[in-house]
Amino acid sequence: MGQKSGDMVQGTLEMLILKTLALEPMHGYGVALRIEQVSQGVFRVNPGSLLPALARMERAGHVKSEWRSTENNRRAKYYLLTARGRKALKEETSAWDRQTAAISRILEA
Amino acid sequence: MGLIGNIVAGVRALVRRARVEREMDEELRGFLDESAADKRRAGMTPEDAARAARVEMGSTNSVKHRIRSAGWETVAENFWQDVRHSARILSNSPAFTLVAVGSLALGIGANTAIFSLMNVVMLRTLPVKDPGQLVLFGNGRAAGSTGSLPNQSWQLFSYPFYRSFSQKSQVFSGVTAVDSIEFATHGALAGEGREMLHASLVSGTYFSVLGVNPWRGRLLTEADDKTPGSGAVAVASYSWWQRHGSDPAAVGKTIHIEGTDYTIAGVAPAGFFGVTVGELPDLWIPLSMEKEISPGWNGLGDKWFQSLHVVARLKPGVTLEQASANTNLVFQQLLHSEYLGPSPSQKDLADVAHALIELTPAARGLSRLRRQFTLPLEILITIACLVLLIACANLANLLLARGAARSREFAMRMAIGATRSRVVRQLLTESLVLALLGAALGVAASWQAGHLLLTMATSSAEVAGMNVNPDLRVLSFTLSLTISTALLFGVTPALRATRIDMTGALKQGRGIASPQSGISLARGLIVAQIALSLVLLAAASLFLRSLVNLTRVDTGFNRHNVLVFSLDEYAAGLPLDARLVNLQQQIEDRVQAVPGVDAASFSMFTFNQGMWSDDVTVLGVPRTPENSQDVLHNVVGKGFFSIMSLPILAGRGFNATDKIDSPKVAVINQTMAQRFFPGSSPVGHCFGFGDDPSHSGDIEIVGVVKNAKYVALQESPEAAAYFPYAQRVQYFGNFEVRSSSDAALMIPAVRRTIAEVNPNIPINSVSTLAEQVDESTANQRLIARLSAFFGLLAAFLVCIGIYGLLSYAVARRTSEIGVRMALGAQRSNVLWLVLREILVLAAIGIAIGVPVALAGNRLAGKLLFGLTPADPASLLAAIAMLAVIAVLAGYLPARKASLTEPTVALRCE
Repeated sequence: MGQKSGDMVQGTLEMLILKTLALEPMHGYGVALRIEQVSQGVFRVNPGSLLPALARMERAGHVKSEWRSTENNRRAKYYLLTARGRKALKEETSAWDRQTAAISRILEA
Repeated sequence: MGLIGNIVAGVRALVRRARVEREMDEELRGFLDESAADKRRAGMTPEDAARAARVEMGSTNSVKHRIRSAGWETVAENFWQDVRHSARILSNSPAFTLVAVGSLALGIGANTAIFSLMNVVMLRTLPVKDPGQLVLFGNGRAAGSTGSLPNQSWQLFSYPFYRSFSQKSQVFSGVTAVDSIEFATHGALAGEGREMLHASLVSGTYFSVLGVNPWRGRLLTEADDKTPGSGAVAVASYSWWQRHGSDPAAVGKTIHIEGTDYTIAGVAPAGFFGVTVGELPDLWIPLSMEKEISPGWNGLGDKWFQSLHVVARLKPGVTLEQASANTNLVFQQLLHSEYLGPSPSQKDLADVAHALIELTPAARGLSRLRRQFTLPLEILITIACLVLLIACANLANLLLARGAARSREFAMRMAIGATRSRVVRQLLTESLVLALLGAALGVAASWQAGHLLLTMATSSAEVAGMNVNPDLRVLSFTLSLTISTALLFGVTPALRATRIDMTGALKQGRGIASPQSGISLARGLIVAQIALSLVLLAAASLFLRSLVNLTRVDTGFNRHNVLVFSLDEYAAGLPLDARLVNLQQQIEDRVQAVPGVDAASFSMFTFNQGMWSDDVTVLGVPRTPENSQDVLHNVVGKGFFSIMSLPILAGRGFNATDKIDSPKVAVINQTMAQRFFPGSSPVGHCFGFGDDPSHSGDIEIVGVVKNAKYVALQESPEAAAYFPYAQRVQYFGNFEVRSSSDAALMIPAVRRTIAEVNPNIPINSVSTLAEQVDESTANQRLIARLSAFFGLLAAFLVCIGIYGLLSYAVARRTSEIGVRMALGAQRSNVLWLVLREILVLAAIGIAIGVPVALAGNRLAGKLLFGLTPADPASLLAAIAMLAVIAVLAGYLPARKASLTEPTVALRCE
């Protein structure tokens, strides 16, 4: 979880992982790193949350995994987005958009 | 991945656990390495980087645990782990396990056995198509025949009525009729010997209305049941077909029954027994053959011969109310057009206005067994449930004590990271394992117990065909019972055991952190057990005392040394005239001549075999509501009164002068004499059947005989009249023999003698009059025996419970007792100290139990004889027994406490 930069909004971790994996297949650390970089350090994903989340998503059929070698020539478990995961990402993104729009309307009113 | 993918992945994780574990380790290590490498690149020293990475991740074990928790298999795996752990724990304390599993097996087994009987007798639907659409006309309670025009709900119907009704009714997709009596007859399949056959006479629509398909050949159709005497075909039951070698060629063969050849048209499917639960006919024969099967039963053309049950199938979408309205409309039309003459009397019109047909849902069929056993079974299952509750309370107590003893183990497990819920789950699994072991044993035992119960309760021939083995419904009942049992006795001890002050528990090991809390719950459980046991013991002593009262009833007749032969005279092939009477007299005379035989006679009834009742009008005595009540009738031979040892009190018995053409005579009993002729002799007076005064001179009373019981031991004195069979020719099913010595020794000689006179009369069975009397109370004996058994079981469980509680309490108070003794307390003081506790608990339990028992016993009121549900003697016996049990069970621990050596006790701390 974000340790110094505020907690991640509940339920968003899986959406962020889906979005990250939509670009290319990655291993667990790659996902964590990418989320931290893109959010400019606002979200730091702890492996204790990330890896169980990936395991849950794999069971739900949103991602699948395979062992590949990394750029450093080590074996690592890479996660790939499935068609079902792509669909889930689309649904969760639009739901998120609706909610944030609504929240900002409330805050600005 | 979807559902199937999820299942596959879960199974893979379970089966290839090592590989999954390795991959998980590798992924975590990779993560750590990459993370550390990044931190090094950012300028940390290698050591700092590695430490920071590990701190970020936290405990790898807990991460792995959370990853594993993503799959369902972890739950399964944990459960399996818990089961194995429980098995280890339980096998380490065999005495506890034995008591727990044993008491649960008895409790669950008893419930299963009784419920499987309830299932068969009360719950199971008929094995036919859409049983929910079937309705019965009337309530199915009557059987036999009636000739009157009932002014109330009609129960039995004539064949002509069934015919006209089924043509006129619009709400049923089909109507069928079945004889209310199952006929026992004899016949022989072509090429085989004679056998006893149970035949059910049904209308041609029977199988199509029930929606049953043939197993072999064809079933009956309307064409079979067209005109009286036509349609000599039979459908065999599956079990009859099995008894004949499951021969496919049996279809098409002929079976010769009492002078008529029937063709076997087909075989009904396995499990089909018709519409009456508890009957299993061998053959179904069209009603058109009624007269051929039973010549006295000749009512096909007679609208006053009402002997059929009518069953109909509702059209889809028709409700019971609609069907009832239409049925009664048609019924009233039929009554007016066909039953009332052109100028009906006022009484007939009033009767017809009150006549109605009640439609009863018939999905579960008709059953005499259901009426007889519903109340006893409900009482028995209540008793069995109470026993199970007591077993639960007992187990909960044992588990509480074990929980206290194991507090160190739980504290240890929670200290190294197990959550409380994890430990609770482990403890509940232990309870579940116990309950399942108990249930498995219980079900295994109940498999045969169900049948045993039935045969204990009723004559075995009647229920031989019933399948009382547990089915899916029974097994799911048992499973849910088992699980709720496990929760009932397991939850509180598990919660209690895991509520620990950890440091204290670990330090002391003998957990005396809260000495009172656990023990007061345990005391409460003992009180509950005592109260429940009191209810059971009170019920048991009520039923036992009631049974004793029944066995002491004076039957009026002498039940000893009398054989009752059940035979089929019709098979002799004689017509209903003087020739039959001659045969009967010949048999009586020849058997009476056998050495050792005192008297021999045919009769319509002996005892508890049903009744023929009718009201009578006595010449010269005006009818009143009291004297127009039914009189019981019996048709007997000359020797009947000496067989039953019923003395003639006035006038004479029957003799050879009572012939078919001599004036009709009767012998009446004391009650009938008092009812019609108080204070004067009835001999010489006349009476007739029914309320028609013109028949009141038909029959002359020639004698008065002592009162006897007729249908049941419980009955109050009934008015009865006997008629000589020479004047009422009929086929008999009963032949009685009184012998001067052991009756059983006479059986072969009597059989031989009957066969010598006429070899064609088959003897179905032989019993004794004493057995018939016993059988009439089978129901009461069953309940008395079972409730006594369960009561003793409950008492035994209470013993164990009290013993366990006191031993535990004494162990915890060892040091206190040591101090007391060191200060000068006597052994007797200590003994009293411990016993006083149990006496207080027993007194509270009894105080709670008495009102509960009094309220509960009212349920049993109908089944009691000669005492009230509030019978004080029964209640006192139960209280005394419980008090004795409490003291006995408490004495051992109390004695142990009194033998405490103060020095040893004090050194313990």
